[in-house]
Amino acid sequence: MVVSNDAVLRLEGLTKRFSGRPALSEVSFVVRGKEYVSLLGPSGSGKTTLLRAIAGFETPDAGSIILDGVEVTRQPAHKRGIGFVFQNFALFPHLSVFDNVAFGLRNRANPAPEDVVSKNVRETIDLVGLKGLEQRGVHQISGGQKQRVALARTLVIKPKLVLLDEPLGALDANLRQRMRTELRRIREALDIPFLHVTGSETEALSMGDRLIVLDAGRVGQFGKPSDVYNLPATANVARFLNGYNVFDGRLEGEAFATKYGRFGFGAKTAAPTGAYAIRYDRVSVKTPDAVGPAMLAANYVASEYLGSAIVHFFETADGKIVEVEHHLSFGPPETFDPGRAYDLSWNSQDGIAFG
Amino acid sequence: MTVPAPADPHVSADRGNLAAYLLLTPAIVWMTLFLVVPMAMIVYVSFWTQTTFKIEPKLTLDSWQTFFASDTYLNSLWTTLRIWLIVLTTTFVIGYPTALYVGLFVRNKTLQTALLVLCVIPFWTSFLIRVLAWRPMLGKEGAINIILMKAGLIHQPIEALLFTDLSVVIGMTQIYVVFMVGPIAFMLGRIDPNILEAARDLGADFWRILRKIIFPLSLPGVVVGAIFVSVMVLGEFATSAALSGRKVNLLGNIIVTQVGSLKWALASVVGVILTIIMGLVIAGLLRVVDLKKEL
Repeated sequence: MVVSNDAVLRLEGLTKRFSGRPALSEVSFVVRGKEYVSLLGPSGSGKTTLLRAIAGFETPDAGSIILDGVEVTRQPAHKRGIGFVFQNFALFPHLSVFDNVAFGLRNRANPAPEDVVSKNVRETIDLVGLKGLEQRGVHQISGGQKQRVALARTLVIKPKLVLLDEPLGALDANLRQRMRTELRRIREALDIPFLHVTGSETEALSMGDRLIVLDAGRVGQFGKPSDVYNLPATANVARFLNGYNVFDGRLEGEAFATKYGRFGFGAKTAAPTGAYAIRYDRVSVKTPDAVGPAMLAANYVASEYLGSAIVHFFETADGKIVEVEHHLSFGPPETFDPGRAYDLSWNSQDGIAFG
Repeated sequence: MTVPAPADPHVSADRGNLAAYLLLTPAIVWMTLFLVVPMAMIVYVSFWTQTTFKIEPKLTLDSWQTFFASDTYLNSLWTTLRIWLIVLTTTFVIGYPTALYVGLFVRNKTLQTALLVLCVIPFWTSFLIRVLAWRPMLGKEGAINIILMKAGLIHQPIEALLFTDLSVVIGMTQIYVVFMVGPIAFMLGRIDPNILEAARDLGADFWRILRKIIFPLSLPGVVVGAIFVSVMVLGEFATSAALSGRKVNLLGNIIVTQVGSLKWALASVVGVILTIIMGLVIAGLLRVVDLKKEL
């Protein structure tokens, strides 16, 4: 880091309980200017609560929220200057596209004069690619366009930070792909950080300059997506990334003991409960003539074709599903017989042990 | 392989039309017999010739001339319009905040329903009892005067409370305010809470949000409520009879009196005038908002 005042958003020990049940526990992190941070967490991990607390829609029980060096923890939402893009867009149904975007400028504490409103709204509408739709009602535009209106409405007030709550969740797959690129382009055209909450690991990995993984109300890991993906900090982070087979067990010296056998590992992380993680694409199905140790015996169940890769599903004797991902650039996929037992193997240096 | 013949669109459309007409028939017959015919009859009777003891179907403008030449009748027309506007205002001023609370601030659906039912509880007693119960409340020796005198706030009972415009307005507001609360609370309950949070996030304070988002979105409810209240207040006669000591004569009271003395022609004239006023009021209110689009 160059200077410490580069921090736009700083959370310190943010804690929130709902009728005694903790939704957020001691969440602390810093978001810097001009970065796209994605926040990944399964449903119930507290990611929406966290976003709503930052925006001011929920009051935290403890901890503080510091925005541009000013504590805003107890400030009402309309005084924070944080943009919030809702999952369901939450457009004003009785207003046109133009009036939706103009709402913030016209209705803040000191409304902007109408010529400024008109100029800024048009600029923002151009930025998000909505030119020509200004006078349409918000019921007369497509889902992707609504998404852009929701974004433009937020950007036009020049927020210090933009929060996006599963912004692509309501769009179909094709559009989601396009909007990912669009969101990044728009973020780069501005000088403010975006904090993007998502339940999709591919979205989180592909969009974020940095990635926060939220696990049961705590920050599980915060780092560059490649660092998080290559070396998850906890077994749960590995699970949420949906790229790792995770086995229970315990650390025994230089090996990790599971009920399927003892596995070697290349990396070790201290953790209260033991777990062993190996990436789907590091596991291979042992051919009869291959050398090296067989790590795990499992029955073949089915395969899923993904276009550039194929994922084979195997099941151990006690019902644990093990996934094997084969990238098709490494050659055509093998075929397996359903129900037959195969030996799965991997380089023990690729395994990560927690314990 | 044979290509299946496309269904003849005319045949299916005709069949659809026939079904639609069949479904509409009972309603059309009912409305014709009990709404269109009686209304046409009233318009017709208003031109009949009325003598002291009988009425005959000889067309004349006499009853219309009587109405527009009489200060009593014209005054009752103005009184009706005045009371209607005042009651419309008071039901809105009292009803809107109530609906705002029930529909928007109470987010628990069960509690919301319970509160709306609470608004309807007065309707479990008969209309007359509800109206007459105001007499011991508002009278010279009524509850309000006694309380105010005991509290030392006044030394003489306030006589203006009962048998005045005020008592009629109070009585009608109490009865009809619920018809304003219901439709507005319904519209407010349909507002997505995220929309209000979005407005707050964009920097608008509560009053701005109320003016720019909540009120416009609840407008269809206001219009429906206003139509309910208007139609009922314009046709009122019982509240004014019971609480004004016959000093406030609405068009409804004129109709009752004329029918009572078998003056059918004049009663019909007043009925036609009242119907025209209601029609204009409803048409005017419907211009405020496109209900077809909203509901």
